[in-house]
Amino acid sequence: MSIENLKDSLPEYAKDLKLNLSSILSNTDLTEQQLWGSILAAALASRNDAVIKVIAEESKQHLNETALNAVKAAAAIMAMNNIYYRFTHLASNKEYSTMPAGLRMNILANHGVDKADFEMWSLVVSAINGCSACMDAHEKQLLKHGLSINSVQTAVRVAAIIHAVAVTLENAANL
Amino acid sequence: MLSVGQNFPKFNLTAVKAGNKDTAFSKIDNGTYKGKWQVWFFWPKDFTFVCPTEIVGFGDLNKEFADRDAQLIGGSTDTDFVHLAWRENDERLTNSPFPWVADVKKDLSAALGILHEQEGVALRATFIVDPDGIIRYSQVNDLSVGRNPKEVLRVLDALQTDELCPCNWQQGQETL
Repeated sequence: MSIENLKDSLPEYAKDLKLNLSSILSNTDLTEQQLWGSILAAALASRNDAVIKVIAEESKQHLNETALNAVKAAAAIMAMNNIYYRFTHLASNKEYSTMPAGLRMNILANHGVDKADFEMWSLVVSAINGCSACMDAHEKQLLKHGLSINSVQTAVRVAAIIHAVAVTLENAANL
Repeated sequence: MLSVGQNFPKFNLTAVKAGNKDTAFSKIDNGTYKGKWQVWFFWPKDFTFVCPTEIVGFGDLNKEFADRDAQLIGGSTDTDFVHLAWRENDERLTNSPFPWVADVKKDLSAALGILHEQEGVALRATFIVDPDGIIRYSQVNDLSVGRNPKEVLRVLDALQTDELCPCNWQQGQETL
């Protein structure tokens, strides 16, 4: 299945999502790597098999080997950090924030891609997983790296759209 | 005895792996495992009693250490042929998966400060050295007390687990 098929398989009541998806696929605010890395990261975080398969395949045409690995790494490590730091941030007992996490995350230092890109994909995953501390941290880093506020917003829009597409198709398969 | 923050001494020694007199020997020096962590553990004498259990214990964890980009290196002041003979003699040790250095001249042990004053052999000392050659953990037991390899692995894990993400970022703190 291609992304075109994916779009076409969205039910009529989700026409908005189909059109949003079309628009975001032709977005020019972000670089090709940033855009497709964000799309893939969002797909991975949204956890629908069919959507992941299609997008992973399509991504190979836009991302090199190193970037593909880095996106997967971001999704993998954020799946851990989003849970841990969401807890420390939300817990009433602030002592947890002062304790060493004891969680290996060395990939953050050697993913092999542009730091801003990796931060963006981490933001995408964090937005989907709902860790506010993570979102703030990554957002701050992106602006510090010189990205415009529009670009950051675009990344979040990617997250929102891909997540919606994944959830809708998952439900449509079961309805 | 050298400790945390100091440079591991320069060395160039014969190391003994599993094999025979033609295949088991090689020279190793500070550049041999470039880019990796090194976990050194010394024992007093080959052919004695506490040492085999430790050597087997570390060997069982070889893959765990390798996964963490760490090279295990054993050593004593015995010669290369004594190491080879001990491997051949004790079937628990024959295939010990990491090299054992023969610090015959005692240069490395002396530089590390781990020679037993009276006996002149190496104490049961353990060092974890980072890829920049800096000692990050050093520990020594008296001659009769064995070490816990799992504890050494735990320490290596802790040394490698930096909280790299700016997730605990607070106002004004520097991030990654």
